Amino acid sequence: MRKILTVLCVTAGYCLAALPASAQRIVMGKVVDADNEPLAGAAVFVKEQKTIGMTTDMEGNYRLRLPDDKEYTLQASYLGYVTQSCRLASRQTKKDFIMEEDAIGMETVVVTGTRTPKLLKDVPIATRVITADDIRRTDATHIGDLLQAELPGIEFSYSMDQQVSLNMQGFGGNAILFLVDGERLAGETLDNIDYTRLNLDNVERVEIVKGAASSLYGSNAVGGVVNIISKEASEPWTLNLNGRYGSHNDQRYGGTVTFKAGDFNNSINIQHTSTDPIEVGSIGKDGEENDFSKVYGNRTWNFKERLIYMPSDKLKLTGRLGYFFRERDKSASAKDRYRDFSGGLKGNYSFRKSNSLELSYSFDQYDKSDYDATQNLDMRDYTNVQHTVRALYSHSFNKNNTLTVGGDFMRDYLMSYQFTDNGSYEQYTADAFAQYDWSPVKNFNILTSVRYDYFSEAKAQNFSPKVNFMYKLGNCSLRASYAGGFRAPTLKEMYMDFNMANIFMIYGNPDLKPERSQNFSLSAEYMKSRYNLTLTGYFNIVDNRINTAWNQALNGMVYTNMKKMNISGLDATAAAKYPCGFGMRLSYAFTHEYVKYGQPYTSSTRPHALTTRFEYQKDWKNYGFTIALNGRLLSKVTTDEYISENSFESTESVTYPAYTIWKLNISQQACKGVNVIVNIDNLFNYRPDHYYNSTPTTTGTTFSVGLSLDVDKLF
Amino acid sequence: MKRIKFHTAAMLGATLMSLSACDGIFDGIYDSYQIATADNCESITIDGSDYTKWTYINLETQTTIATRILNQEGDEEPWDKGGDMPGEWDIAIHRYEVKTNGGAVLETSYTSIDELLNADGIPTGEYTEDIETTDRITIDMSDMMNGNILYAKSPYNEVLSRWMDVDTSTMPPIYTMSNKIYILRLQDGTHAAIHLLNYMNEKKVKGHMTFEYLYPLEKAFQ
Repeated sequence: MRKILTVLCVTAGYCLAALPASAQRIVMGKVVDADNEPLAGAAVFVKEQKTIGMTTDMEGNYRLRLPDDKEYTLQASYLGYVTQSCRLASRQTKKDFIMEEDAIGMETVVVTGTRTPKLLKDVPIATRVITADDIRRTDATHIGDLLQAELPGIEFSYSMDQQVSLNMQGFGGNAILFLVDGERLAGETLDNIDYTRLNLDNVERVEIVKGAASSLYGSNAVGGVVNIISKEASEPWTLNLNGRYGSHNDQRYGGTVTFKAGDFNNSINIQHTSTDPIEVGSIGKDGEENDFSKVYGNRTWNFKERLIYMPSDKLKLTGRLGYFFRERDKSASAKDRYRDFSGGLKGNYSFRKSNSLELSYSFDQYDKSDYDATQNLDMRDYTNVQHTVRALYSHSFNKNNTLTVGGDFMRDYLMSYQFTDNGSYEQYTADAFAQYDWSPVKNFNILTSVRYDYFSEAKAQNFSPKVNFMYKLGNCSLRASYAGGFRAPTLKEMYMDFNMANIFMIYGNPDLKPERSQNFSLSAEYMKSRYNLTLTGYFNIVDNRINTAWNQALNGMVYTNMKKMNISGLDATAAAKYPCGFGMRLSYAFTHEYVKYGQPYTSSTRPHALTTRFEYQKDWKNYGFTIALNGRLLSKVTTDEYISENSFESTESVTYPAYTIWKLNISQQACKGVNVIVNIDNLFNYRPDHYYNSTPTTTGTTFSVGLSLDVDKLF
Repeated sequence: MKRIKFHTAAMLGATLMSLSACDGIFDGIYDSYQIATADNCESITIDGSDYTKWTYINLETQTTIATRILNQEGDEEPWDKGGDMPGEWDIAIHRYEVKTNGGAVLETSYTSIDELLNADGIPTGEYTEDIETTDRITIDMSDMMNGNILYAKSPYNEVLSRWMDVDTSTMPPIYTMSNKIYILRLQDGTHAAIHLLNYMNEKKVKGHMTFEYLYPLEKAFQ
């Protein structure tokens, strides 16, 4: 297949080269890789006149006819290598290119920061990309596992009832917006979406943009955006089957089938996971009672289907369906069930080269029910249904000016056991946004955007501005940005009327103001084929954060806007990948939260966090292996906790100890399609002295072994 | 190709279906609140959600009357102002706890009244009488998070109260019904079979106890 493609490319190249027949000057050269091996099929173009160009032949040679003896810029590109440009002096007739492998993915196309496709190295907003390769190496099951392994300063811990709670450098689950292919997710439990819903089978990459992004994404993008991008089939057919078995009877089975037939492209993915309960004991090593004594066992089913129809180069229609089911064993007879039904239709239309239009409809329904095994009754007590329609239009005036405008309309319906008599509420939201991407001079980019959001039930409206600057100097990029973020009060926060086990009431507050944040950030990045160094400093002003506070008059908890606070920090990443197969990545995050003197500091954000990865990869014709060592180091944190749950007058200081967890993955590949992966998690057998809600739930070293078969590659 | 077209149509259909269902789809996969009682049984539902309330039940007349617990000594007054204190009663329920009027209780391994009636006769064994307690009948939970719970002095039948297990080692607690049949021997020597069916009402408010019972049991075994 590859050979045929190469021959086609070479033939096309000759045809292109033959076009400018009245040429005055012939430029020739060779495109080779770092080992001096010729690259056949590499594209070489004249930047000023894109009609002049060709692809290299089997020996890596190219030959272009230029119309005159003037100065030109030649550009050479090849998939997986860093695109190179060079100035061709007048009368120069020879130019060779030595291409460097794009080992760190700087040529990856990303969409989250600007809502339009851009190369990672050109995007004015620092974007972290976790690739399909990274996902495979960490062997993560869902987005929570992956983020924790890849990013420092991310911690998933438990809140009440063993519900998972995210802290991403001082921002909680409701201040980080999670998207799948740009679509929001319905449903939440204690301010967090269901992360287990977001499995990583058939995922192309995950893009993370830190800092406020409400000017493009609206509510919830207060502290950042995580966007999961699905894989699209490019082969006639593929079939992947995988399974993993590990300690605590941890099982994972998955299968993905994709095919391409004519204008159709389809993928179906099914995954099933299950795990036994983990007993951690009711008393810790320190003799005190643990926050929990066992982690409930659970099982999930996840189904994803996506069909793409491309009747022409200009039109692309996408339809998708999804089903998710999770069951958690609270006791032998009581089980918590979580289900999600999703679907969507999207049309992308490109016209007159510089215009693109996207129209989409998205449906997402997240249900919670209690299953009583003795009576065989499955009773629903929560459903969140979201219908969203969106239009997005982008127009490029020229290569230096692009305008993007768009708008969404959403209906949000919520029925919950936390409302009076299991009642329901609904809210309509509407928004419009515009973004202008401008490069006034070479190497300098300004991106500005503004968005208006309206929420019918909260009667809230919000303007979110953003401006980003990027200046490129050789392999360095300097970025500066100011962005506004906000989060509108949710139906839950406005209307809750919940009796907490007859101990106290939790009341909603219809008069809540939206949470608002202002984010300032500065970053410097060095990217050169094998190396990537990034340093980012940021400062956030967060006002009117919505939280519950004790209200003496009502004798209960009430949702309230909190006072202004600041979150500042520093992120540093160093990554390198060498041709010998050795690679490493070190990421450090420092976070500082500041509340005014006199107010209690109740956050449990750890100030210092570090993630590391060292890997070694070696490939032969029919065999290859990768050894990867992933480490997470988190510093201790001292925080104030209220001595009494319902007086809120005095606090005591509590320290959560530092910890470090290391994971070793050994993956072996045979015959291109057979992958065996062995994971040793918690390599140094760390066991907490006391299980706080924020300590990892590990009981010591665990093992797992997985097998993944790419059946199509075996033939 | 035909298959692909079908596939496309099915996906389109499924997505459009959700359009018409503003408040969601697949309601039918869930069960609604239901309590099924055995044919030959009586059933009683009481609202025991208040921590200061005793509900007294007369099994023969199927009548209930409630009182308010006034203090930790366990003194009571009629629930309704100007109401009566209970007269003839057999059992009384406070939240999930039960006391008997001089009776005794046996826990059986049967999980339905029909199963019990297939047995040879009224189960025999060691019937357990009430005990006096000072740490069972909670009257004030408001300071529970700080470990301060107020109890009232009261008789308490430990065996019949096992019909419902509340595990408070986690928050929120885990509620488990034993689903077993309990035999109550009344003061006058007659017997009743009691089966707890639910501890919630249809709004899922806990403390609403529904149980079925067969009384007198002697008649059923004749």
